[in-house]
Amino acid sequence: MTKLRRHVIDLDDFSATEIEEILETTESMREVLGREIKQVPALRGKTVVNMFFEESTRTRISFELAARALSANVVAFTARGSSVEKGESLVDTVRTLQALGADIIVMRHSQSGAPYLVARYFRGALINAGDGRHAHPTQALLDLYTIRSRFGQIRDLNVVIVGDVLHSRVARSNLWGLTRLGARVTLCGPPTLIGPAAFWTATWPTVRICHELDPLLPEADVVMALRLQKERMQSGLLPALREYTRIYGLTAERLDRLPKHAIVMHPGPMNEGIEIFPEVATAPAAVIETQVTNGVAVRMALLYRMAG
Amino acid sequence: MRYLIKNGTIIDPANRVATIGDILVANGKVERLYDLADLHNDREPPGPDVEVINARGCVVAPGFTDLHTHLRQPGEEHKETIASVCAAATIGGFTTLCARPTTRPTPDNPATIRQLRELADRFGTVRIDLIGALTIGNEGRMLSEMRELAEAGCIAFSDGGRTIADTALMRNALAYAAALNLPVMVSCQDPYLAAGGIAHEGAVSIRLGLPGIPAAAEEAIVARDIALAEATGAHLHISRVSTAGSVALIRAARARGVRVTAEVTPHHLTLTDRWLLGWLEERNELETGRPGAHPDLSLPSWLNPALLPPYDSNTRVEPPLRSIEHVEALIEGLREGVIDAIAVDHAPQALVDRECEYGLAPPGISGLETALALTLTLVHRGEMDIVNLIAKLTEGPAQVLNRSPANLRPGATADIVIFDPERTWVVEPEHFASQGRNTPLRGQRLKGQVMLTMAAGKIVFRRENFGRQTQAAPQPSRLEGIFETE
Repeated sequence: MTKLRRHVIDLDDFSATEIEEILETTESMREVLGREIKQVPALRGKTVVNMFFEESTRTRISFELAARALSANVVAFTARGSSVEKGESLVDTVRTLQALGADIIVMRHSQSGAPYLVARYFRGALINAGDGRHAHPTQALLDLYTIRSRFGQIRDLNVVIVGDVLHSRVARSNLWGLTRLGARVTLCGPPTLIGPAAFWTATWPTVRICHELDPLLPEADVVMALRLQKERMQSGLLPALREYTRIYGLTAERLDRLPKHAIVMHPGPMNEGIEIFPEVATAPAAVIETQVTNGVAVRMALLYRMAG
Repeated sequence: MRYLIKNGTIIDPANRVATIGDILVANGKVERLYDLADLHNDREPPGPDVEVINARGCVVAPGFTDLHTHLRQPGEEHKETIASVCAAATIGGFTTLCARPTTRPTPDNPATIRQLRELADRFGTVRIDLIGALTIGNEGRMLSEMRELAEAGCIAFSDGGRTIADTALMRNALAYAAALNLPVMVSCQDPYLAAGGIAHEGAVSIRLGLPGIPAAAEEAIVARDIALAEATGAHLHISRVSTAGSVALIRAARARGVRVTAEVTPHHLTLTDRWLLGWLEERNELETGRPGAHPDLSLPSWLNPALLPPYDSNTRVEPPLRSIEHVEALIEGLREGVIDAIAVDHAPQALVDRECEYGLAPPGISGLETALALTLTLVHRGEMDIVNLIAKLTEGPAQVLNRSPANLRPGATADIVIFDPERTWVVEPEHFASQGRNTPLRGQRLKGQVMLTMAAGKIVFRRENFGRQTQAAPQPSRLEGIFETE
């Protein structure tokens, strides 16, 4: 087994071997979750603090369930109504949680890079549950697990990530994970939501950029749609939702043009009727609910490995 | 007190002097300069009232002028005071500071300027020149009383780091300043294009997920302001140029005779946006086997961004640190004279404001104490000769200010810096004289250090026992290789 790590901030420092090991551990955790009594004592006596500075329902609940299934004490810390609203700095908040005896902090923050700051002051273990546009490693791991469960392996799969790539931490973390495991990744979306291709290939040399979705469909094994924030229209990055949907929306017709074995993914929450249509989200090819289910197991696997 | 600075390598760009020799300082002025030719002649021994300063192996140059200092006092004394900024200046070899109008209250009226003048005279140990606000409150809405500011002694006008978004107002500001024959110093960044931006838009900002500030945000305003300067005949000074496109625009404008001058900061000349990656950079190199950051010249081997954590708020400046092709164009522009001056943009910040998320940290670098050593990396890398570099810290700023340059001619005010270009030292912000400890250079080993600074004939900084007779053991010059005479 690879060396146990203290923090999970992004997938950029995960080797292919380590990712594979986590996916293996996830398999065992799936088994635990299938039992009558969905609990093992791995984290008994440990305190996990969910430190969420940004709204999140599914990720927070997923982490909470994962920590509880491992018998940890789980405390939720939300920015609203806390000392943060009274002007306490992030560093002070972390020092306080440290003093209160937190063993593991799970953090969500709107500022890219905030977990690196926390890691400098926190002596326990840190898991990034999403920071700004930067990274969302547990989402990427659960996506990798979901893809691997379906295809058996990830090498040489054609993965299309479509939508607001520029603002997406999910896309970035998936780029690290997918490319490290040998998938061929294409980023697809309007130029305003991606930017120049060279900016991406400098870090991920194998990634391709395409501004049309339709030509990519016949070759795609995986299509991952990203959530389109409505604010993008106000800031002038897009002319109109209608046009976006017409070119990049996952409609039933587009679903038909995918190979039979292809799967459709979405990190949620979905804007149905914009980036994905209800009949696609519920089609057999869609694995969106499986992603959510796998999320708990993946987070258990990480917590388990980090607890040593 | 009289001083005889002996055996130094005298570099006086304004007088085209570069020689080994001695300088006699008396009554606050340079009294005599003895060059090699004089050494063979018999000279009167220095009298008992003359202190001999042994400067063998060191460069003796006119004191440096910084066109871009944020004093912080009055208004933000927790960040810096006039006393501490002057202490930092003397350690850095600067004997003239041009204060940007970013103190509070905004110096947009003669009364505030006179108060500031009084403070500067009371606490300053080096010359402090004042720059008046271009618009009321630096808000870009109403012109300040520019004529009265000029009469109160302002040497230029500026709105600090802000760009006047209203092009008509900018035209009026330039036209008004043209009649006063004073430069308008602008920081160029399109507020719409740069809105929300934190880092240079490029591979690094994409990787780190930081909102980008494109190079075009600067270039669009540089182009606009050059067009306005051309139309009004005003003297436009472009502060802290940071992109290749800006250099090209300025080069073209100067070629057709527009009155435009420009400055660049030490950090934009030497650091790239890859410093934001911190130790992620090193990891990249280890894993991919590709040289990460700096394929060709880019960084001297002794500067190491991997000493920083990723997203270190000390790398946050305005304009943002740019990518290597921009840095190379800036060096080229400086070397060929398109950029007149190196200006520090000394912007001290309080630690409490910096120990936070990258996107929330106030921008700025406390740079007076590292400016010389950082820019000397260009000399040590063979990209610039030392005479030209010193010119950018002395003659260049004087030209921007339309004044005769600091020099070492007999009769000139004795503003003198003596530095050892080969001495290595490690940057320890906690030992800065500046209250601002915000620097990305913590722990870096730099080459070149100021040993003694003289302002108007008074020693305002002396490192340890530098130059005292007792330790004057002769040693071979260590300047070989970096010092070329014409």
